[in-house]
Amino acid sequence: MTARVDRIALLAVPGLAYLAVVYALPLLLLLAKSVRTPDGLSLAEYGAFFADDYNMGVLARTLRVAALTTLLALLIAYPTAFAMARARGPWLTVFLVAMVLPMSLGVVVKAFAWSILFRANGFLNTALQGLGIITEPMRMLFTETALVVGAANVFLPFMVLPIYAVVRQMDSRLPEAAASLGASPWFRFFHVTLPLTLPGVVAGSAFTFSMAISMYVIPSLIVGERQQTLSMLIARSFLYLRNEPLGSTISAVLLAIAILVVVSSSVLARRLGARQ
Amino acid sequence: MTLISRNGLTRRSLLKTSALAAAGTLATPALLRAQSSELVAGCAGSHTAWMEALVVPHMKKTLGADILFEGTKSSVNLEKMASNRDNPYLSVVQMDDPVMIQAVEEDLLAPITAEAVPNMTDLRPDAVHMDGMWCNYVQPWAGIAYNTDLTEGVPSWQALWSPEAQGRIIIPSLQNTEGMWTLFMAAMLGSGKPFAEAQYEIDAAFAKLEELKPNLLSVYSTMSQAFNLLEQGEISMLSGSFSSYALPRKAEGVPVDLAAPQEGIFAMPSGICLVKGGPNAELATGYVNEMLGAELQAAIADFATSVPANTTVTAGAVIPDGVQIYSPDWAFVSQNRREWIDRFDKLMAI
Repeated sequence: MTARVDRIALLAVPGLAYLAVVYALPLLLLLAKSVRTPDGLSLAEYGAFFADDYNMGVLARTLRVAALTTLLALLIAYPTAFAMARARGPWLTVFLVAMVLPMSLGVVVKAFAWSILFRANGFLNTALQGLGIITEPMRMLFTETALVVGAANVFLPFMVLPIYAVVRQMDSRLPEAAASLGASPWFRFFHVTLPLTLPGVVAGSAFTFSMAISMYVIPSLIVGERQQTLSMLIARSFLYLRNEPLGSTISAVLLAIAILVVVSSSVLARRLGARQ
Repeated sequence: MTLISRNGLTRRSLLKTSALAAAGTLATPALLRAQSSELVAGCAGSHTAWMEALVVPHMKKTLGADILFEGTKSSVNLEKMASNRDNPYLSVVQMDDPVMIQAVEEDLLAPITAEAVPNMTDLRPDAVHMDGMWCNYVQPWAGIAYNTDLTEGVPSWQALWSPEAQGRIIIPSLQNTEGMWTLFMAAMLGSGKPFAEAQYEIDAAFAKLEELKPNLLSVYSTMSQAFNLLEQGEISMLSGSFSSYALPRKAEGVPVDLAAPQEGIFAMPSGICLVKGGPNAELATGYVNEMLGAELQAAIADFATSVPANTTVTAGAVIPDGVQIYSPDWAFVSQNRREWIDRFDKLMAI
């Protein structure tokens, strides 16, 4: 038997070593803490976590907010990616800069900026009142809607860029061919364009959902302590309740959800790729 | 069996390279460790202004020390100390009394002695705790901060519960030490007992806190954001706010003030301690000595509108006249705080 190790593999070694030390090892220790009790290995912490109504409420909110954030980001990102793919010259540069530059801005700054916009005397309420849509300021700050809007803004580039990459590689003659065969615009979109761009949609959704489900700073600043998410529960368990088994358990639950999303999206993307 | 690959790269050499890369990654923190003139201090986020303006230059001048400080919550400082127990990187920590008690219980502190820290002898007797495990340095007082454009004053803590305040109040989480003030005042108002007895009436406190829910815009764990909302008029009152943060903002011309309601106010339990086994022990005791000395105490007390613990200092904040100032049973708080945080979060959840 001959084991071949390509020299190119060496390029991955520093990255893998780094990940092994700062990610895999702590992760294993974390998982061990979630099942280790003075009496031996046990899943009791998991049982206690899932039996608590408050925890279930937090889990449901986290999943709901992540799903809505992903949906909103997708609705904005999909047409944006097509506009970017069609853009040429300086317009393309403008689009790319508009997508990438905000990523250099700290998430705290963005979350704080949204909290200013959502205030009773903030821009959104003033604009809605000015347009006569509302007469009294609406409560926006510290609401789940505000959180979804703010999070979608922060994660938008991670949805746009994968879709843009796919749209850019799409053969634009295919929808035209469908049109020449008499397909209506709706038919062309749902049966030609959308299936061809689905791998980008799946990748972007996986990115966005994974980040939205584990966000900490954004909910801390936009909705505060009364509407906790799983990440906030983890911080609370480790830092304030000083309950490491509980914190480790919640971390493991969050990790399991993230792995499920990544693996499912990977399988889905592969199937879609194979179909095409 | 080690087999030679097509490119002359063996499995063993790959493993060696991986091991070297991992060792390099592990060794990096050692390269970044503090130099001998550097001292890492933990403190509260709200200390940042006076740490930068007063403490850092003072320590450079008097001790020749470069102070690196990490501003965060007392509970987070405790977790940092506990997690790095075998190899501490913090030398000194400034945190609140209830968390100090936990730190003592977990054997994370080294005692402060008058031999090493002579300025300790000038402190009020009640500022030295558990035979010198920690000392209070300056103490702000806490009441209710309010927006002066929206409210003329806050004569009573009962104002937090008034129907006019619906959706216009923010209170601190019990994760923050200042969160205890609303809890204890709810205990007094809910039980009708004086503070000395009411502080143990926690069921009455939570029942009264539940009545506060319609008036809450939010519960904060980051004070700066909540205070900003007060300054902008998004809320009218911020419960549990303290003099070292609110009064300097008032002095800057921001439309806020700090009320000392008739039922009483609270003394913030700001303490300083030495980390057991922390680096640069000599420099650390020098730092604590300076923090307890008259010159720096006067400067911090003035800057942060706080009451100095050093009896030779006459500067600093004046406790408002005619109101009782309370200091709770911190041992009782320390014993029950985790349970209270859990109960509070569940009670206040939307």
